[in-house]
Amino acid sequence: METGTFTLNLRVWRQANGTADGQLVEYTARNVSPDMSFLELLDVVNDDLVKQGKDPIAFDSDCREGICGSCGMVISGVAHGPQRATTACQLFMRHFEDGDTVTVEPWRAKAFPIIKDLVVDRSAFDRIQAAGGYISVDTGGAVDANEMLIPKDSAERAMDAASCIGCGACVAACKNASAELFIGAKVTQFSLLPQGQPERNRRVLAMIEQSQSEGFGPCSNEGECEAVCPKEISVAHIQTLHREYTRASLRRIFGFS
Amino acid sequence: MSAIAGFLASPIGRKVLMALTGLLLFLFLVTHLAANLLILIDAQAYNEYSHALISNPLIYIAEIGLLILFVAHLVSGIIIYNRGRAARISAYEEHRWAGGPSSKSVASTTMILTGAFFLIFVPLHVWTFKFGTYYDAGGGVRDLHRLVIEEFQNPLMVLFYVVGMAILGFHLWHGFGSAFESLGVTHSRTLRRVGNVTAVLMAGGFAIIPLVILLTGGLR
Repeated sequence: METGTFTLNLRVWRQANGTADGQLVEYTARNVSPDMSFLELLDVVNDDLVKQGKDPIAFDSDCREGICGSCGMVISGVAHGPQRATTACQLFMRHFEDGDTVTVEPWRAKAFPIIKDLVVDRSAFDRIQAAGGYISVDTGGAVDANEMLIPKDSAERAMDAASCIGCGACVAACKNASAELFIGAKVTQFSLLPQGQPERNRRVLAMIEQSQSEGFGPCSNEGECEAVCPKEISVAHIQTLHREYTRASLRRIFGFS
Repeated sequence: MSAIAGFLASPIGRKVLMALTGLLLFLFLVTHLAANLLILIDAQAYNEYSHALISNPLIYIAEIGLLILFVAHLVSGIIIYNRGRAARISAYEEHRWAGGPSSKSVASTTMILTGAFFLIFVPLHVWTFKFGTYYDAGGGVRDLHRLVIEEFQNPLMVLFYVVGMAILGFHLWHGFGSAFESLGVTHSRTLRRVGNVTAVLMAGGFAIIPLVILLTGGLR
């Protein structure tokens, strides 16, 4: 063993495809450096598997700097692992100890079907976003900056909401596999800005309807989503979502839109 | 009409209904507790208060209203629970609570069970007292106070009520804060703490009545 490195016991969910039965398979990772990220650990394990002619562990990753939302796995029973405000790619092995046994599983939700091993299909989020998470902008010359005045407070709150990277950890951690933190962030982001006003009511109704048909569950206000969110999106966005949805529904009931 | 039905059948509309019915049931419990505390203070006042309630013809409307609230809260609770279960088809091999800012608690994970308990408790409670032995206090007023004192001489009855009120406390521990959050009132630690204190006060307030009666024999 190299100096400063250690050994980790992994139990990784292996599932050949969406219809196959999956199971936890044990691997021993040796020479784990404390400076490795969790994904780099899986890379090292995969190198070994490839050398042995075995199928490497499939997992999603892209930027590996915590901003793209591609990576996502449940590590030691917590989405993105036990470190707060951290994606799996930014979870470093210095938070683990020699001889630890670590279980790694995919996001589990009806709306996120497993494709292979730790890879799940998150296109349900894309369809929710497509249902209403946009603004309509007329083509033509670009308007001058600051022509549309936005209070600093609103701009900052909208920016907080917009920091959601759509990784799906909120759904993975929720006992109901609810997508309300994700939708809440998207709805809040637009509802605070003047550009979001024309589609304000239509947006929230359509996004919730899409979420329901994708098979996401209801919100039970436990707040596990906020606790695992790598961007620390507050559950206050869920309350905003409930206000926006109720407002849009009342307007529809009373025929205002 | 279809817009109203659409709202109530939506995941958020159901939670709004859950919150409104829950808060109205909670308000009923507050008045119920306030009146019940008369049992420990003034037997005659308690009997007169209960007489004023049951001799008012509006009591039937109030009772039907309470029944509707109870059933609506129960049915939407079951639907929400089932939708949540259906949204996760395979369970995690290892799952831990995330802690930190999360409000997840034993109370929040057992809402369906603590709620279901009242499906047993409420009929038994109504049967024991509303439809219990009729004692006459004179002047056409029922001596409900005497019945309450007699029932709570039985330690098993007292135990059932104390445990029952602890279960109510668990339900309110999560339910109070959660209701305001479902209605879109912004989440805060303070709101959650108010909910926790309210839960303890309500459970304690109700539970103290049978305990005091058992230990002291009650007002005579």
